[in-house]
Amino acid sequence: MIACVAVVGQQNNPLFIESFTEGEDELKFHYIVHCSLDVIQEKVSNPKKTGSAMNETFLGLLYPTEDYKVYGYLTNTRVKFLLVTTDQDVRDIDVRNFFRRFHAAYVDAVSNPFHVPGKRIISKAFTERVGAIVKSFGAPTT
Amino acid sequence: MAAPTGEREVAESCVEWVSMEMVEAYCRRLHPTKPELAGRRIEAIGYQVGLQLAERYTKERPRFTDHLEAIKFICKDFWVEIFKKQVDNLKTNHRGVFVLQDNQFRWLTHISLDSPLYNGDRVTLETSLSNNAVMAARAAGQYLYFPCGLIRGALTNLGVPCDVSAEVANLPACSFIIRIKA
Repeated sequence: MIACVAVVGQQNNPLFIESFTEGEDELKFHYIVHCSLDVIQEKVSNPKKTGSAMNETFLGLLYPTEDYKVYGYLTNTRVKFLLVTTDQDVRDIDVRNFFRRFHAAYVDAVSNPFHVPGKRIISKAFTERVGAIVKSFGAPTT
Repeated sequence: MAAPTGEREVAESCVEWVSMEMVEAYCRRLHPTKPELAGRRIEAIGYQVGLQLAERYTKERPRFTDHLEAIKFICKDFWVEIFKKQVDNLKTNHRGVFVLQDNQFRWLTHISLDSPLYNGDRVTLETSLSNNAVMAARAAGQYLYFPCGLIRGALTNLGVPCDVSAEVANLPACSFIIRIKA
């Protein structure tokens, strides 16, 4: 069950943050996403220490708390995608697929000539697409 | 029969005409007395488009390790996606200046030169030919504002802040000079 997805820009400014569980405190997700940014920074500056390849886009599990797991993805343009999930047994391939589709939706949203680069993404079409991707997350694949 | 990938396509002539008309509109209709301002406006449009195209074309790739990788990406994949060919020559002075040379720049191939006035004298024919070429080269500079903006936008989004200018030697060859800001 995905709890929250977030897109953070190059200057660590939030571009899009959406939570998918009712009744939870939104601010808590903002806080979790913010802490994960530090982990991303660390991973990017010390590739050997943390074991991930220098130029991989998918950063893997960043930050396990008692209720949530946070996965990260860094694009070539230094935009970060974060996924907060409550599942305990998430497959790596599922998360990679999620980020691939999310990246495609993000690129389409940013290509909108009315979108101002660096400002929040306010496209309804993007929100709907993200909702659809989130719903199909973790669906069993044959 | 294999189904198409679902991507929509646009005729290339539309892109060429829009870019020509953009130069026409900004340089002759909107700011006829201020060519610098028109040039800056067109370059700003190119900058935003370059930002967005860089997002799209680097989607599947692993991240770049340094400035040279980003410039090589521009010369190869980025140029191929937009102009269907690679940049012909890349030169650098290893101090942050790169020159990209394209010997057959796609958006300049359809610019034609006036036929020179020939009144029987070979000397005047040659001088008027070379005059034509010089004037054409200067006029073609206006059509290069947009590509300069494209390159600048793409590089800025990839983390390489820079300035880009263009020069036309003889049509349709042109070169783009990238100066990386320290």
